[in-house]
Amino acid sequence: MSTISFQLSATSPGPRIGTLRLTRPDGTVLSLKTPGIVTATSRGVVPHLSPDLCAQTKAVRWVHVAFESFLDHDPPVPTLLTGQNRALARFLGHPHSAILSLSLRDPGDIRTMPPNGDAHVSANCIRGVRKVTPENWRSYGQSCDPDIIFALTDTPFTPPPYSQKRLTKSVERSLAWVADILRSDSPARNVFVQMAGGTEPAARAAFSEGLGARLYDKEAEAVKPLKTLDEGVAGYSIDLGPLRTTLGDRLLHHSKLAAVLVPDTIETADLTQSTEALIKLVGASLQSLPQSRPRLVNSCTGPHEILKIVKDVGADLFDAAWAQRAADIGIAMEFHFPVPDHHRDGADKLAIGYNLYDHVYAHDFRSLCETDSATVLSTPLQHSSVDSPPTMIPASPFTRAYLHHLLHTHEMSSHALLTAHNLSVLAAFFAGIQGIVSSDSERVLFAKEVEVFCDVYDVSSVLFDEALKAWAGVELARGKGRLGREKVVGAE
Amino acid sequence: MQFEVLATCHTTKARVSRMTLAHGVTALPTFMPVATQAAIKGLTPQQVESLGITLILNNTYHLNLRPGTKILKEAGGAHKFQGWNHNLLTDSGGFQLVSLSKFTKITEEGALFSSPFTGEPTMLTPEESMSIQHAIGADIMMQLDDVVPSLTTGPRVAEAMARSVRWLDRCIEFHEKSGRKDVQNLFAIVQGGLDPELRDQCLDEMTKRKDGVAGYAIGGLSGGEAKDTFWRIVKQCADKLPADRPRYCMGVGFAEDLLVCAALGVDMADCVFPTRTARFGVALTFRGAMNLKLSKYATDLTPIDQNCPCPTCKGGTTRAMLHHIVTLETVAAHAVTMHNLTFQAQVMGGARDAIMQGTFPAYLHKFFDNYFGDVGYPEWCVNALRSVGVDLLEGKENAKVIPGDGGNWDYSNPKKQ
Repeated sequence: MSTISFQLSATSPGPRIGTLRLTRPDGTVLSLKTPGIVTATSRGVVPHLSPDLCAQTKAVRWVHVAFESFLDHDPPVPTLLTGQNRALARFLGHPHSAILSLSLRDPGDIRTMPPNGDAHVSANCIRGVRKVTPENWRSYGQSCDPDIIFALTDTPFTPPPYSQKRLTKSVERSLAWVADILRSDSPARNVFVQMAGGTEPAARAAFSEGLGARLYDKEAEAVKPLKTLDEGVAGYSIDLGPLRTTLGDRLLHHSKLAAVLVPDTIETADLTQSTEALIKLVGASLQSLPQSRPRLVNSCTGPHEILKIVKDVGADLFDAAWAQRAADIGIAMEFHFPVPDHHRDGADKLAIGYNLYDHVYAHDFRSLCETDSATVLSTPLQHSSVDSPPTMIPASPFTRAYLHHLLHTHEMSSHALLTAHNLSVLAAFFAGIQGIVSSDSERVLFAKEVEVFCDVYDVSSVLFDEALKAWAGVELARGKGRLGREKVVGAE
Repeated sequence: MQFEVLATCHTTKARVSRMTLAHGVTALPTFMPVATQAAIKGLTPQQVESLGITLILNNTYHLNLRPGTKILKEAGGAHKFQGWNHNLLTDSGGFQLVSLSKFTKITEEGALFSSPFTGEPTMLTPEESMSIQHAIGADIMMQLDDVVPSLTTGPRVAEAMARSVRWLDRCIEFHEKSGRKDVQNLFAIVQGGLDPELRDQCLDEMTKRKDGVAGYAIGGLSGGEAKDTFWRIVKQCADKLPADRPRYCMGVGFAEDLLVCAALGVDMADCVFPTRTARFGVALTFRGAMNLKLSKYATDLTPIDQNCPCPTCKGGTTRAMLHHIVTLETVAAHAVTMHNLTFQAQVMGGARDAIMQGTFPAYLHKFFDNYFGDVGYPEWCVNALRSVGVDLLEGKENAKVIPGDGGNWDYSNPKKQ
């Protein structure tokens, strides 16, 4: 049962814009223009954004939560709120105006894991690996009351390659678990399905066909009145993370990496090195499925890859994990779509952001962003009758020099400001895409603009590589465990 | 600076005053959060402002190292640099020289230390400290003082006290000539260790220089001395300092210490405690500290304090939620920091209201009953408040009294039944 309506501009492959409307049981309607952002979380919260800042950051319209971090407690603590509307969103303090989607596993986590079974998925929490059965998952979903829930999926996180037998099993299990969450005796609202099949186009196509296949007998009885599984599905998602691992793409900045593990020299890579191959795999999944459902793509490497996927596949939602990770390592994003006129004829490639660890920013008093993202004025608290009347003084935007200072002094405020900034830049980028696609009946303009973007903005990983090294340097000099490391050095 | 005493307590030495500086008005007594390196750890200046905080502290030693005075001057001062539009106080840098640097040598000229970056010998003189603080542009600057660890005894304490007086003269002279007297204010720091005799001498000398200073700090405390000694020195200083100057007790941040100091006549205090302890997952409440890391909070679905107006408690963030992310996500540090700073502001705001309304003794009773009623009243608080006419144990025959430096900490989970 889906309470999502999705209106699209086009129904054939290629760039498309849409409006997604989600109706909550209490009648609230949330509306979202696509293509757009899904904000990633860690332990349920948007990293570095306290709930008050998160609510002020307009770019945060949809947060995606992985349930696995709650498995360290039995029963998982959010399930204690059973019976409350939006139980998990309330528990986590996410704004009422943001859509909350829930999957068992973090779509950005590609670490090696023990294998899944016929009746369980291996999930990761701080106390180790936990097995979650489809039955557990249905009950967690019911207690948490997310706006959107992802069906369990059997993605192997054992080291690749995967045999045909393994992929077949993956497709079968994933289909069975979609059927399980759609069971008519306790149907979940707004089910998203991760497209299974790994890097085998045939396996991916088989999964999609399975979704669309007419059900008979017991299978049909279990999900009645649905005639196919796909009828009960509200949207599709494609996790590029595990696919990239299988393809042998080893980009370092995708996921969190401990500072000690950052190598001294990082080979510069092309951020779109796997994009063509990934687009084929995404295409294989979507080919036989209806155009009319929203498609979420997780773990892109940056704007170049996003644009290519929008152009060739017509995806609607993208997670912001890469831009949020960039905020962790001191990168302020700065890129625009369509490329502004004054950048079009430059001889040199522009970077998609700047590494604020770089000492050139020490004296740079230009503001971080033109559109200030994190300053919404509220009324300050008053603590006694003799306090001055509460008024907020409008703040001037933060400068690059200040951010540079905060990063080098290991001050956490830097990451809060950068996260809000990067999410806002990404939101403006998607608004730019929406503008071009809507004015482009022939779809020539969009393709041309993507080409211009790729010409103007550098597609290499050098920005991320340098920021990662600078971040690791400060982290090792000043971060957690510093005293212990200094002791070791002192003893030598 | 304009300094106006609005009300004094009929029983204790506490008072409410209004201090007007170049960046606005701050009502006293108040607690000043510490933004060591130009940021309250994890928060944006707007978040701090929204908590109703109007005076914060920057550390001169740290800002001089990074970003350095050149960048601060280019930015137009520390206010502009960090986007903080309210009042700012800087210390002199002397304390960190002693606490952070291994090779500091104090001479009459100044403090000689090796730069933590280059290792080169660097001299911090009173004039240099003033000059750095002028570049920072803080509304209140502290004189450079000769700091000795609180527990030091012997002739070094007397020497440090006398030198602090001489350095005060040099700071006053430098500040007079700087042409910044209308926008920045110099505070003197009373030294003299734990010796009442030396403290008296220092107070005499420094009050003589009243025309050159806008306020006075009580320094050299909060360094591990017995609490019973601490309050006696604070009382001695507060009693003797001129009534028409604000009094600032350095390095004090526990709620009970703040209220005792306020009752003794102190107007301002600073400490990293509420922000640092927040990062370790300890929330401050009117019923004592709450260690959110303890598993007893894992399933506790209530906010830290139902009545707290901070964004964390108001927003409904539960103890269980904070337990889930504490020390693992920076968001937990931000959320608890905002709560703790609000708690400090509430304790002091409540004190201001009570003093205005003439109910401060009752406010003290209520606070200490809530905070220590279960675990026992610290003996030193009882003694200190008795000295200003408030008896916490009045009418409580069976009240538990804890000797020593007692506090109210949340160490452990309840024992399994």
